[in-house]
Amino acid sequence: MNENILEVEHLTQHFRLGRKEVVHAVDDVSFCIRRGQTLGLVGESGCGKSSCARSIIRVYDPTGGTILLDGTDITHMSQKQLQPLRRKMQMVFQDPYSSLNARMTVRDIIAEPLLAHHVVKNREQANSFVYPMLERVGLTREHADRYAHEFSGGQRQRVGIARALVLQPELVICDEPISALDVSIQAQVVNLLRDYQQEKGLAYLFIAHDLSMVRYVSDVVGVMYLGQLVELCGAEEIYSHPLHPYTQGLLSAIPVANPALARQKKSGGVAGDLPSPVTPPAGCRFHTRCPFAKPICSQEAPCMKEAAPGHSVACHLYD
Amino acid sequence: MQTMENKWEMLEQTSESREKIWSRNRTFAADVWFRLCRKPTAVAGLLMILLFMLFALVGPFLTSYSYSDQSLEMVNIPPVMKVYDVGSCRVYITPSLKLIRVDENGSLTGMLPVVRYEHEKSMTIFDCDGKEVALYYGRSVYVVCDEATGNIYPAGHIWNHDHLLGTDALGRDILARLMYGTRVSLMVAFVSVLVNLVIGILYGGISGFLGGMVDAVMMRIVDIISTIPLTLYVILIMMVFGQGLQSIIIALGLVYWVDMARVVRGQVLSLKQQEFVLAARTIGSSSRTILLQHLIPNAMGSILVTATMLIPSAIFMEAFLGYLGIGLRPPLASLGTMCNDANANLRTSPHELLIPALVICLIMFAFNFLGDGMRDALDPKLKK
Repeated sequence: MNENILEVEHLTQHFRLGRKEVVHAVDDVSFCIRRGQTLGLVGESGCGKSSCARSIIRVYDPTGGTILLDGTDITHMSQKQLQPLRRKMQMVFQDPYSSLNARMTVRDIIAEPLLAHHVVKNREQANSFVYPMLERVGLTREHADRYAHEFSGGQRQRVGIARALVLQPELVICDEPISALDVSIQAQVVNLLRDYQQEKGLAYLFIAHDLSMVRYVSDVVGVMYLGQLVELCGAEEIYSHPLHPYTQGLLSAIPVANPALARQKKSGGVAGDLPSPVTPPAGCRFHTRCPFAKPICSQEAPCMKEAAPGHSVACHLYD
Repeated sequence: MQTMENKWEMLEQTSESREKIWSRNRTFAADVWFRLCRKPTAVAGLLMILLFMLFALVGPFLTSYSYSDQSLEMVNIPPVMKVYDVGSCRVYITPSLKLIRVDENGSLTGMLPVVRYEHEKSMTIFDCDGKEVALYYGRSVYVVCDEATGNIYPAGHIWNHDHLLGTDALGRDILARLMYGTRVSLMVAFVSVLVNLVIGILYGGISGFLGGMVDAVMMRIVDIISTIPLTLYVILIMMVFGQGLQSIIIALGLVYWVDMARVVRGQVLSLKQQEFVLAARTIGSSSRTILLQHLIPNAMGSILVTATMLIPSAIFMEAFLGYLGIGLRPPLASLGTMCNDANANLRTSPHELLIPALVICLIMFAFNFLGDGMRDALDPKLKK
């Protein structure tokens, strides 16, 4: 049994746009997730978080790098070879509306993974898994015969979580599971995920752009910028000692709840817009917006190195 | 100061009541049926289709005529006849200037024998129970009169009791032919639905689902099929299988699914990108499950609407081919061939054209109404 449930090395995911143009969605990303731990992946919209998740779960075919799921290289496996391994790895989607089939009852939605992996033979047998799972996510047996469109957003997301958890996977990829929900419902969903993790010891790859929520759920946090991982360290460390200028900018953009403190605070955030992933800037990709950019930044790409114990950063400031 | 009395009672909130869904639990089909029933035009369309089915399937057992029974004496008789009361009996003037005896119910009891022709008076003299009556054809409105005095007998209108919708140019009962004609139309509708639902859905579904080169090749085949007009296929197939309904049905079966294939392909292409299909992939469901459980059920709304909208055009196509004379072989009746047969006598007997044309219109109306209602009923976003 491997210590790491998932190891991603130099993962690269490019998409062709027409003949010559290539979108560099994910470029040379490496990280690993230990059993029972949560890795939070943050970054602004369009930085390649979701593409990263989708290449790991092999909805896309990665352009380069390796993905090791529980020690098995799944990078270039065919969908057929992959099928039995999918039991170990499931996904929770961002949009609770489009991620559930409107023509299926909740019972059928939750039973689908069980039937696909021949855990049960028919729908009647599936009930012995579906009912406890529904109750586990805070719904009741009566909900089993309802259609997805009859539920509220939070309820639907819990159905999506039930679908991902019913096979008892070892790794669940949560692709912004809370960003489409009300703030009051977000906590409900996150607590459900955390409780389940403590019970069953599964690992999460938790993608979000809400930094405070990521801090709450994650053991390790990775910050992505324009397809690259720029900083990776423990969850508390990244909030107390952010090293990369981009991380510092992101943290200063978190709104403060107390208005008195908010007035004192300097207007934070990162100036400028995200450059196009079709033509990423040479050298360090962040140098176009970095307040501390040096001449070397536009010439040479920095590589990930450990600036402090357990704290990696890709920035020329820490050479 | 008086304190406000609290009129609100605090209820205990349980997790169960918070999660409860208060709307009634209905299956998708029941939901669609409920919404369809609330649309009067759709219900009217559905009822009309059911009535036409009864008319076509049960009707022939209730009438004593068959579609091919000819009676050359009773030719081109309208449903409502103008009869002259000549005293002992009533007579009706046929368009071919003969007199038919009609009893008080409106039944036709036989032709009157001709006694002699009076060409210079523009009269033909008939024998009616020993009494001589004259048919005067000197003016455009032909009348029955007394030969000597020229007095016109009193006239009145009476419903044709033997042939409720009259007879055609060969003396065949129009009502009986209409039943067989409707049967042909409904058969064509049934075949077109079957072909659309089986070949169209699978072909379009597979094409859209696989995508890429397979899709490109499959869609070019569809393009080639749809550029050649259906009339040409029917004529070519008739060369092989002979004239008749089977050739039309084979032609429909071979090529009538292309529109449906295009619709299904478009739907599948857009649905394929949705997250629930992605979810099914990450779950590890087979392509078969994804296609049959996720993609096609979600495309069912537009599939059913397209099917009900294609039925009228298939029915019209058959009627059109019949009208052109490349449909059924003569004694057999279809609505189109009936219209074609009526052309020759359009001025004297317009009912022979109007009745089958009206039936074509009503059938097409019914299917269009139903299709329209289905489109609304199948759209879950319009749910109230």
